[in-house]
Amino acid sequence: MISELFTTTVLIGILASGIRLATPYLYAAIGETFSQKSGVLNLGVEGQMLLGCFAAFYVALTTENLWLGLLAAMIVGAVMGLAMAFVTVNLHAQQGISGIGFYLFGLGMSDLLFQKLLGTVETVKGFPEIYIPGLSDIPGIGEIFFSQNILVYGAFLLVPIAWFVLNKTTLGLKIRSVGENPDAADSLGVSVARVRYFTIILGGTLSGLAGASLSIALLNVFQQNMTSGLGFIAVALVYFGAWKPAGVLAGALLFSMVNSLQLWIQVLGIPVPSDIAVMMPYVLTILVLVATVSKVRTPSALTKPFERED
Amino acid sequence: MKNTRISNFGFQILAVVLALVVTSLILIAAGANPLDAYKNIYAGSFGSFEKLSDVLVAWIPLLITVAGLLVTFSAGLWNIGVEGQIIMGGIATTWIVRLLQDTTTPPALTIALAILAGMIGGALWAALAGALKTFGGVNEIFGGLGLNFVATAATIWLIFGPWKRPGVASIAGTEAFNESVWLPTMGDTRLSLWALGLAIVSIMIVYFLLQGTYIGLRLKAVGKNPKAAYLLGVPTWQYSMMAFMLCGAFAGLAGAMQVMAVYHRLIGSISSGYGFLGLLVAMLVNYQVIWSVPVALFFAALNIGGIQLPIILKLDSSITGILQGTLVLFVLMMEGVRQRFMKRAGEKQ
Repeated sequence: MISELFTTTVLIGILASGIRLATPYLYAAIGETFSQKSGVLNLGVEGQMLLGCFAAFYVALTTENLWLGLLAAMIVGAVMGLAMAFVTVNLHAQQGISGIGFYLFGLGMSDLLFQKLLGTVETVKGFPEIYIPGLSDIPGIGEIFFSQNILVYGAFLLVPIAWFVLNKTTLGLKIRSVGENPDAADSLGVSVARVRYFTIILGGTLSGLAGASLSIALLNVFQQNMTSGLGFIAVALVYFGAWKPAGVLAGALLFSMVNSLQLWIQVLGIPVPSDIAVMMPYVLTILVLVATVSKVRTPSALTKPFERED
Repeated sequence: MKNTRISNFGFQILAVVLALVVTSLILIAAGANPLDAYKNIYAGSFGSFEKLSDVLVAWIPLLITVAGLLVTFSAGLWNIGVEGQIIMGGIATTWIVRLLQDTTTPPALTIALAILAGMIGGALWAALAGALKTFGGVNEIFGGLGLNFVATAATIWLIFGPWKRPGVASIAGTEAFNESVWLPTMGDTRLSLWALGLAIVSIMIVYFLLQGTYIGLRLKAVGKNPKAAYLLGVPTWQYSMMAFMLCGAFAGLAGAMQVMAVYHRLIGSISSGYGFLGLLVAMLVNYQVIWSVPVALFFAALNIGGIQLPIILKLDSSITGILQGTLVLFVLMMEGVRQRFMKRAGEKQ
């Protein structure tokens, strides 16, 4: 029975869905990388994602336009980000707690909206697969990498873009300096508040997008609390990835591949004891946690509010 | 000094009012009458003796968790791993009960050992987060998040694996314990006076520890300024570890209470979010131990009262989450506004 796993078709299937499942992790974790690099820990990702999930789904369902849904999710995420920025940057609130506040708010709000506006679980027709001409015909490779929907491609494109912005642009330099030494950045004329507003709103927008990728591109439904901890995993992935986009990519892929493997094992009905299958993603967390311990350095000003000395 | 305390209180009240206003607006937008909703929450929590006892059942684990978190907060630590510590407490308790309940051990001894095991389990899990921080340099927020996942996983594994119910395993939990080892409850309610007593003792211990002892004072010094505390001869990392383990022991006790007094088995969601809720309460009361008693009661009442809503107003208990979330955010905002206000007032003088 277990040999069924190792047929080419199944292996390709596992890899293809692994790539697909990495999408929400990537959007959320890359967004979080930006805000953490600038010194702000946003624990509200899960709440932003849930509201994004709902906004995208509802707008897509009522207008029958997926792009409007996507836009709605990004706007909702950005607004949540704006609120988070106001609370943490202007009012110097404890970042961990305000994040949990936003998480509870997003969880409750998406739930309430679902009850009031939908009531039952419905489905939408999500973003279709785009077959890249030529490349999608390559056996195996084509199905794994080049037959995905647009949000999957977007998520993977985001990784090099994020790397470039963080490491090769003036903006990236500003973000990093604000996260490492806000006093020095400030004395050189960088507006700490403006940079942090930018990164937190960007993070919110990407979290909204991550939610949209779940509800209108991957699962094509909305359910209460459908992210079930994914946003918190995304926050942890930033740490696992040592605040580097490539590291975040590696972490996201590791998680999504193991998840995909576990799903396929269940689909194929392979008699691996079910407890082991369910445990796999978690065991992985321990291993990665242990493996990355002490190899990474946190941005110095992370979680510290900045107050200008007059 | 007295003036600042009064203005403090004023800002807190203002925050509560604003949170109620925002939640009311959301309710109106959702087509529900906010007054009806609040009335229902009240009736569903303090409306009858039965409801009140349910509120107390929710208050117990919350208060015990908050007691623990106040210790780590005082030491300047963000123990987000508290969820996992509650879970590990529940697991350790279940383990001891399963080991002893069918032997000749007297039930009272089994119960005592099981609760003790829960506290040890929670403390050890917290020690892990503490060790990751002090020796591995892992920020306790990330370590805690990771360890929470691991603890959840361990529960799922136990429920579906070694401790699965004969017949079909389900997330609903393990086999119920023998009735002889259940903590006795009062009348027809689910309230255990033993658990209630332990919760009150917990918060009192923390009150005296933080307000009246040398250890508490040094703990706060570590929290306020670890470098200065170190230079003054306070063994900083030992104090951090101690804070983690104390908090873990309390969290484990909360988990033990859920297992022994409420569910009588290990269930998939044994912590039921009390860890996160506890973090909110501990932050809201801003280190003032006494205040955690009414604030935790208020949050417990919201949780229980919210259950009533879906039936009557066709609203999900989600409104509770919205109210709690906005409440926290407004308290944070008001705290920020207050500090600006004070600073400006200070400059004028």
